[in-house]
Amino acid sequence: MSNLTGMWTLAQREISRFLRVWQQTIIPPIITSTLFILIFGYSLGSRIKMVGGIGYLEFIIPGLLMMGVIMSAYMNTSSSLFISKFQKNIQEVLVSPLAYWQVIAALTLAAVLRALLVGIGILIVSFLFANLVVGNIFILLYFIIMVSIIFAFAGIATALWATSFDKMNVFATFLITPLTYLGGVFFSVQMLPPMWQNFAKFNPILYMVDGFRYGFIGTSDVNIWYSVILVFLLVVGFGALCVHLFKIGYKLRD
Amino acid sequence: MDAITIKNLKKIYPKIEALKGISLSIQKGEFFGLLGPNGAGKTTTIHILTGLANKTSGDVMLFGKDIEEDYKEARALIGLVPQEFNFDQFEKVYNILYFASGYFGISSNLRKVRIEKVLRELGLWEKKDMKAITLSGGMKRKLMIARALIHQPKILILDEPTAGVDVETRKSIWKFIRKLNQEGVTILLTTHYLEEAEELCERIAIINHGEIITLDSKNNLLKLLEGERLCLTLKEEIKIPANLKKYNVVLNGKIMTIALDSKKDHWETVLADIQGLPIEKMETQKNKLEDVFIHLTNE
Repeated sequence: MSNLTGMWTLAQREISRFLRVWQQTIIPPIITSTLFILIFGYSLGSRIKMVGGIGYLEFIIPGLLMMGVIMSAYMNTSSSLFISKFQKNIQEVLVSPLAYWQVIAALTLAAVLRALLVGIGILIVSFLFANLVVGNIFILLYFIIMVSIIFAFAGIATALWATSFDKMNVFATFLITPLTYLGGVFFSVQMLPPMWQNFAKFNPILYMVDGFRYGFIGTSDVNIWYSVILVFLLVVGFGALCVHLFKIGYKLRD
Repeated sequence: MDAITIKNLKKIYPKIEALKGISLSIQKGEFFGLLGPNGAGKTTTIHILTGLANKTSGDVMLFGKDIEEDYKEARALIGLVPQEFNFDQFEKVYNILYFASGYFGISSNLRKVRIEKVLRELGLWEKKDMKAITLSGGMKRKLMIARALIHQPKILILDEPTAGVDVETRKSIWKFIRKLNQEGVTILLTTHYLEEAEELCERIAIINHGEIITLDSKNNLLKLLEGERLCLTLKEEIKIPANLKKYNVVLNGKIMTIALDSKKDHWETVLADIQGLPIEKMETQKNKLEDVFIHLTNE
């Protein structure tokens, strides 16, 4: 039984959920990124010398875009699934003949769409302020979609694990946000002292931002293939984790 | 083929053994009641059947489909009306059914037809554009019944379907599910209202402390306690006289109830024994399922 209708219905519900409150789901990350562009890029950035051979504004935009994408994908699945658990309407899905991978795929599809809409919004704003040139559209699409999927999966895993709203915020506040800010959004890893450069290489978000930036400027701090492969492995790893958690009913079934 | 087959089903939580190896079979088209006091294991059993709880061990098959190995096929056969409201309260009635039926793979066009039919049958069509949170308790129960039926399941599982609803709504729900059963849907009902089970079920299992303590037809269960009760309304409050202590007597103010065992208690003796009591009114009552339930569970 393939039940693609079921999968699409769940994705539809998730998409309509975030579109219904677009003022809360789409606009805020675009405004935040615009403020970063104006303050760090346009204003302060004009006093900072070139980074990696390009203007500071052009340097930070791919990172800001990736920040918006990461948080949007993560927030979509984590908040939706957690509230569904809290309200118990996740039971509608659990009693249905949807395969576990289909539930995950539907939640992820909606999260990727939200992340793409946020990404496109930030990109449009960026074009107004910077001389952006798209170097490799396939690399851009690869990173934006794969990174959205990784953080959609991470959001699912967090929502399953969390038993309270406080716990829900633990990962976003203490892990994703610091790793994103330290992941080379505002600086090149080569600007760090050698010891911190080595530390930074353990931060997976660095590879995501760096790989995505490669799609614009054609150069990267880390070998692009490392980033491509790491992102692929993270998708496979988090995907397998989510399917496993659903299969055993981790904090979903008594 | 049985609709539901449960063999040696166990569920062990960290601190409690909720099901201690229950076994039962429910035939296709049957109206089956699962009764028991709070915490007996009724809802755990239902949750295992429907995929809301994992079993610890044992086998559960729905029309021959294993609930774990063939979980998608098994779940497609079941409609669940849970005890607690578990829909998105802020969603419109129509959308709740539209999405729920979609999860079962029903096409968009067919969904529209079925939603209208089931909402009309349950008297909710006029409420289709209202948010679920605005419905009354009885309407919310009906909405959960509509949602459970939207994919036309072969087995309908109702966990306390009439809890907290008024008498009129309860009767209309009874009528509706009885009609479904007559159309061939196998029904498994748990309820606290023993009157409900007595009214609807053909066979009944009574579960207590995770074990099935009896499983029989409703008529046989009612025969378990053969006899009657003699209810006396007294003119004044008295103490139970010594000559009545050989009977099972309950005195509550001016109401005295004497449980009679038809095998050993004879009417002539009973009437002789109650002579001299300040009786205002006297009536006899047949045993009800409630008496059997209390007798078996000692609750």
